[in-house]
Amino acid sequence: MTEDQIAVFFASSLRLAMPLVLAGAGEMVSERAGVLNMSLEGMMLTATFAGALGSWATGRPAVGLACGVAAALVVAFVQAVLSVTLRANQLVVGIGINILALGGTTFLYREIFGPLSREIIPGFTAWHVPLLGDLPVLGAAFFRQVGLVYVGLAGVVVIWLALEYTAFGLAIRAVGEDPRAADQAGIPVARVRYAGVLVAGAMAGLAGVFISVGDIHTFTEGMTNGQGYLALAAVIFGGWIGWRTLAACLLFGTATALQFQLPAMGIEIPTAGLIMLPYVLALLAVAGLTGRHRPPAALTIPYQRGG
Amino acid sequence: MAILPRALPTAVVLPVAATAAGLLVGVGLVAATGASVREAVAAFWDGMAGSPFAFGASINRAVALTLVGLGFIFANRANLTNVGAEGQLAVGGIAATALALHGAERLPLGLAVAVPLAGGALAGALWGGIAGLLRVRRGTNEVISTLLLTFIALLMVYGSVQSENLLRQPMTSAATLPESLEIPVRTRLPTLLADPSSPLHVGVVLATLATLGVGLVLVKTAFGVRLRAVGFNEVAARRAGIRDGRLVVVALLVAGGLGGLAGAIMIQGEQYILKAGFTSGYGFDGLVVGLLARGSAAGVVAGAVLFGFLRSGGLSMEISAGVPAAVIVVIQGLIVIAVAGSAILAPGRDTR
Repeated sequence: MTEDQIAVFFASSLRLAMPLVLAGAGEMVSERAGVLNMSLEGMMLTATFAGALGSWATGRPAVGLACGVAAALVVAFVQAVLSVTLRANQLVVGIGINILALGGTTFLYREIFGPLSREIIPGFTAWHVPLLGDLPVLGAAFFRQVGLVYVGLAGVVVIWLALEYTAFGLAIRAVGEDPRAADQAGIPVARVRYAGVLVAGAMAGLAGVFISVGDIHTFTEGMTNGQGYLALAAVIFGGWIGWRTLAACLLFGTATALQFQLPAMGIEIPTAGLIMLPYVLALLAVAGLTGRHRPPAALTIPYQRGG
Repeated sequence: MAILPRALPTAVVLPVAATAAGLLVGVGLVAATGASVREAVAAFWDGMAGSPFAFGASINRAVALTLVGLGFIFANRANLTNVGAEGQLAVGGIAATALALHGAERLPLGLAVAVPLAGGALAGALWGGIAGLLRVRRGTNEVISTLLLTFIALLMVYGSVQSENLLRQPMTSAATLPESLEIPVRTRLPTLLADPSSPLHVGVVLATLATLGVGLVLVKTAFGVRLRAVGFNEVAARRAGIRDGRLVVVALLVAGGLGGLAGAIMIQGEQYILKAGFTSGYGFDGLVVGLLARGSAAGVVAGAVLFGFLRSGGLSMEISAGVPAAVIVVIQGLIVIAVAGSAILAPGRDTR
């Protein structure tokens, strides 16, 4: 590989990993609080559409960002009401939301943009980080991405720190492990779980906006194409631990980049195997074959006081 | 079963109310597009049952959904949530195609049709069984494992039609599509009616038998009672001498087998060609059907027919009335959310 190819490879790996990194970090918080959002895919898809719409309508990508995150938060709120307050089956609710998000965004897209339009929307432009961006190889690989990458990575670190070192983080972990004990200790279980789901929603919103406004600069039907599920797999493979989840997301992003990069370099490999790899790894992880990592004890279990 | 009379009203009322509400929203959306509601409804009806072709195609769709839905309620009786039907369809389709293309054609009697069907069912059962084994041996949540297995299976379909060493048709030019060859005529499901325009095939007989079988096993046999016991309270069931581990595996084997059979039927009954994405969401729709049915085999049939007809009608509405078929997807999503959200109102059953 030439230096250019190496730089392009790392740059595209990071770019393709970014939606997973963002959504995965938020989802990890929610799962640590005991709520599994199968709806992550739907939140992301809603945000890709709302972000694209906002940016297209106003000509300002920043407005798109706000719209996308707000829309994902609405979806997250629906998930929270159903799975925390109404104690509905979290997974079924998530699947329902994903179906609804796919139908809703496709419907609105066709009504607003017309079928099969590939209208280019105003997107974020790459930020050439001063000094660092001029480094050989490293500069082109890591320091000429859109600003959302750096903001997002900073957000991920803030999330880890908050989860480990703040009272809020402790409350999240407590309601995810033993909601009854947490309740008796005076922690408002429902409210903390709402907060967890909303954190997942906000981060999934950033992830979705990154895809449409930050990266591709258009919207297509079903654009997230399973990346929400891939982020769920990354959280599992990461064993519900911050840095491991980040590593899993980067690994999955790299696997995706490889399927484009290897054929470009003339290496013929079965791409299906590469795309499959993340799911196989996640399956091995949940089967406990890659080290023992225990899910939060109350994951997917609704809490009812006195119940 | 004593609780049936009391449980029946909510079990019927909730899904029906959810469906009605979803349809109302759908009509509202159609109106919002500025299309004529009457035209859209007419196109919808044409697509569902307006011709022998439309009716046959709708019923064939319902067949696949019925089998998947039956699998869902079977495993759910043991309180297992099988969300992996899409993947079970996929591996069933791969196995059926492979058998149909390699050898089954020469078999005598009905075996040319039956062997690929059985192979599909076996492959699906294996796929479900993996999740069962992981649950019993490693304590892995079956929701997560069946979902991950689904993605792996979908990518296996994609991969198997990428290479000529697997199932891809021989490459004669650069434009050769990544799909399998058409399966031989002798391995296709026979159609039922003399009318050549009707695609209605014997799958509907298989689905009927499966419905009766699952219904009887769940309601009338000791096995059904054991499944239910494990579903209600694993610890108590174990104390009563029920080997719950084996039941969990069997429940997911059966669910997967029904899904695999449905996948084989989709290939041998209608599509005749294996290609990436051939399952096109039937597994997830079937899951929704199973969920709506609340454990009743008759409910599965009702839901499957509803969704089969909805899908057909939606396609026709898009083609002749210009209303996006996505409206149907919205309706389905709303129904799932409404049913899941109102489970708190239903007596008895655990929401997990």
